[in-house]
Amino acid sequence: MVLFAHPYFEHSTTNVRLLNCYETIPNVTFRDLYEDYPDFHIQTFRERKRIVDFERIIFHFPIIWFGLPPLLKLWIDEVFDMRWISEGQHNILSGKDALIITSVGGSENNYSKEGRYKTSAEELLTGLRVSLDINNIELKKIHIIYNADNLSEDQLEVSCRELAEILKTE
Amino acid sequence: MTENSIAMTILIFLGVAIIMVPLGKKLGLSSVIGYLLGGILIGPFCLQFTGRDAEDIMHASELGVIMLLFLVGLELEPQKLWQIRKRILGLGLSQMLLSIVGIFIVFYIAGFGLQKSFIISLCFAMSSTAIVLQTLKEKNLFRTVSGESSFSILLFQDIAVIPILALLPFLSKSQKAIAQADHEKVLLHYIPEWFQPFTVIGAVLALILLGRYIFIPFLRFVSRSGLNELLTAASLFLVIGVSELMISIGLSPALGAFIAGVMLANSEFRHELESNIDPFKGLLLAVFFVSVGATINFDIIASKPVFIFSAAFIVLAIKAVVLFGIGKYYKMNNEQSFFLAFALSQVGEFAFVLINFSAGLYLIDYQANSELMAIVAITMCISPLLLIFKEKILDKRFIQEKSEENVELGIIKQRKIIIVGFGYFGSTVGRLLKANGIRSTVLDNDPDRVALLRSNGFNVYYGDATKPALLRSAGIEDAELLVICLDDPEKNKFLVDYTKENYPNIKIFVRAKNRLDAYEFLNKKVDNIYRETLGTAVDMAVDILKENGMRKYTARRMGKRFMIIDKAMTRRLAKEKAKNMITFTLRETLEREAELLALDSISFEENHWSGDEDEDK
Repeated sequence: MVLFAHPYFEHSTTNVRLLNCYETIPNVTFRDLYEDYPDFHIQTFRERKRIVDFERIIFHFPIIWFGLPPLLKLWIDEVFDMRWISEGQHNILSGKDALIITSVGGSENNYSKEGRYKTSAEELLTGLRVSLDINNIELKKIHIIYNADNLSEDQLEVSCRELAEILKTE
Repeated sequence: MTENSIAMTILIFLGVAIIMVPLGKKLGLSSVIGYLLGGILIGPFCLQFTGRDAEDIMHASELGVIMLLFLVGLELEPQKLWQIRKRILGLGLSQMLLSIVGIFIVFYIAGFGLQKSFIISLCFAMSSTAIVLQTLKEKNLFRTVSGESSFSILLFQDIAVIPILALLPFLSKSQKAIAQADHEKVLLHYIPEWFQPFTVIGAVLALILLGRYIFIPFLRFVSRSGLNELLTAASLFLVIGVSELMISIGLSPALGAFIAGVMLANSEFRHELESNIDPFKGLLLAVFFVSVGATINFDIIASKPVFIFSAAFIVLAIKAVVLFGIGKYYKMNNEQSFFLAFALSQVGEFAFVLINFSAGLYLIDYQANSELMAIVAITMCISPLLLIFKEKILDKRFIQEKSEENVELGIIKQRKIIIVGFGYFGSTVGRLLKANGIRSTVLDNDPDRVALLRSNGFNVYYGDATKPALLRSAGIEDAELLVICLDDPEKNKFLVDYTKENYPNIKIFVRAKNRLDAYEFLNKKVDNIYRETLGTAVDMAVDILKENGMRKYTARRMGKRFMIIDKAMTRRLAKEKAKNMITFTLRETLEREAELLALDSISFEENHWSGDEDEDK
């Protein structure tokens, strides 16, 4: 299941292009969270029932102000249950795996200890990574697309092919 | 059989049309051929149902052509007309001149004499507005390059009739003829000769002023009475009045009706007028075509078959060649040029008028008159067949650029959304759409509101939307969304039924008064239902929850939850209601809702939630 969350999707040429990748891949259910819940009212019970059916969750989102898009964060808040991770409880998420596909506006240089932001993009995803880990979801790969605001047509082509490769990850 | 009353004759005409047109359609022919065949069938040479009076009926039913032009005018806004003025002049003038020259040369060589050939060429250069426009409408070609070009040429011909009618008396050397010609004109006679050319311009200006300052206020006044019949009467009054006015000053009534139509194209009554006039137009045109069929004089054809048919074909050929050339010159592709050539190659109903007029002036004798009439009628009968020939055979060979044919020229652009009812509810919908640049066609039946909204730049039309004809003229055929916001639930239901039955592909958005209405709409398979009481009531309840100390965020969430559950509930109950098994009391409904609330557990504050079943008080 692809969980795609982008509040300003129509202005993101990169992501508009990247989403085409999913169409060619079999057995993928694509969910656009900002289309499903335009009023931020997440139907928790339905989400939980649905999530059981999927082996892999692909989180696809831009990093906005160094964090997750608010709706994706809210989705995790509402759908993941604290009781699932307490001792002796059955966790419906256990044994699934995950991919993170994310785009950032800055360059790779900026996202480093010495760079402008003094932190790496991976570190910004810490919250999500820990949440996955504690629920026993194996994070297979983090794919970061830098400079997403101004990629040329050729670079986009390359990105697309990369993404297609990553989606094949076993 | 010739002693029939007019009513009886019309009965026969309509009867044969009812039989022949569906038959023609079955065989893949256009309705025009059906009418013409029907006319021949009942004419004096077949079943002999009609006598000389067919010709009188033909004149009477020429009003159908006038109405057709009025309707065409209604669809053309003045600015758009101005935009295509060059086309009208260029295409029209070149068609007229070249056709006149071509036909003149042929007939002159055939030994018809200078004057006679000239008159014949003038008459035969005209095409049939009625046949061509009917064809364009039927095949939905108005917005295509070839359709627009055909229309431009026809328009120019309509205008050209006026100077030709004025010119013919001067060709006649007989003083008596001039006197008679003058006798036929009423007002023009009193105007000094040097001023006569300006009457056209004067009349057009007068009509423009009339349209702006008299017609629209007049229609507003009538529509305030709220009586539908009255508006129909006013529409007819307007069209017939304008055409009579034009006749009385010696101009073409069709042109007058067209200008009146153009002047009203911008008004809110456009669609209402269309739907009122349309049935009359259809009826009269049908009678007109039948009478054309009935007036073909087979005796004359039988006496000189070679001459008549060869003349008809030569005329058709010359005009087709000229039109094809013009099409090519104006950079149309083969398909478009062929369409132009075949669609406009017949001789039109104006030729009847001109020929009779010339005969009245002794420019041509009676024998020639009948022969020419027969030629005209034959070309009119052949032209629909030519179009079929073009569609069936030529299109297969020459179509390479089919897609280009459908390029919209923007003369008549239908918006995709129709909003029905623009009261407090509908106007809110319309305003939000407009604020986001989404254009829609709005129908409302409150004349004061319509006038007010129009002055604020809304695209609103006056009319009763429960009349199918109004919906059709508002363009429901190619609309994609129908937004129904009438106050009366019964009218909304009627509209939903009508649309579902006739235009199943339109997506319907409907306003429902309450839950019970919503059930009905759900069972009519409408997906987008908006209960006017739900959202506001829930908002209110949410605010009351806040007053009771609930955190605002939580209260909002509860409200959302409630809405979702309530909608799901309504869907479920609608199904059960459709099965007619159980009638739910309100109490039972509430219990069901509580049940559902309990089912849908949520992660936070679960304990609090479960005790909250009576939230929907």
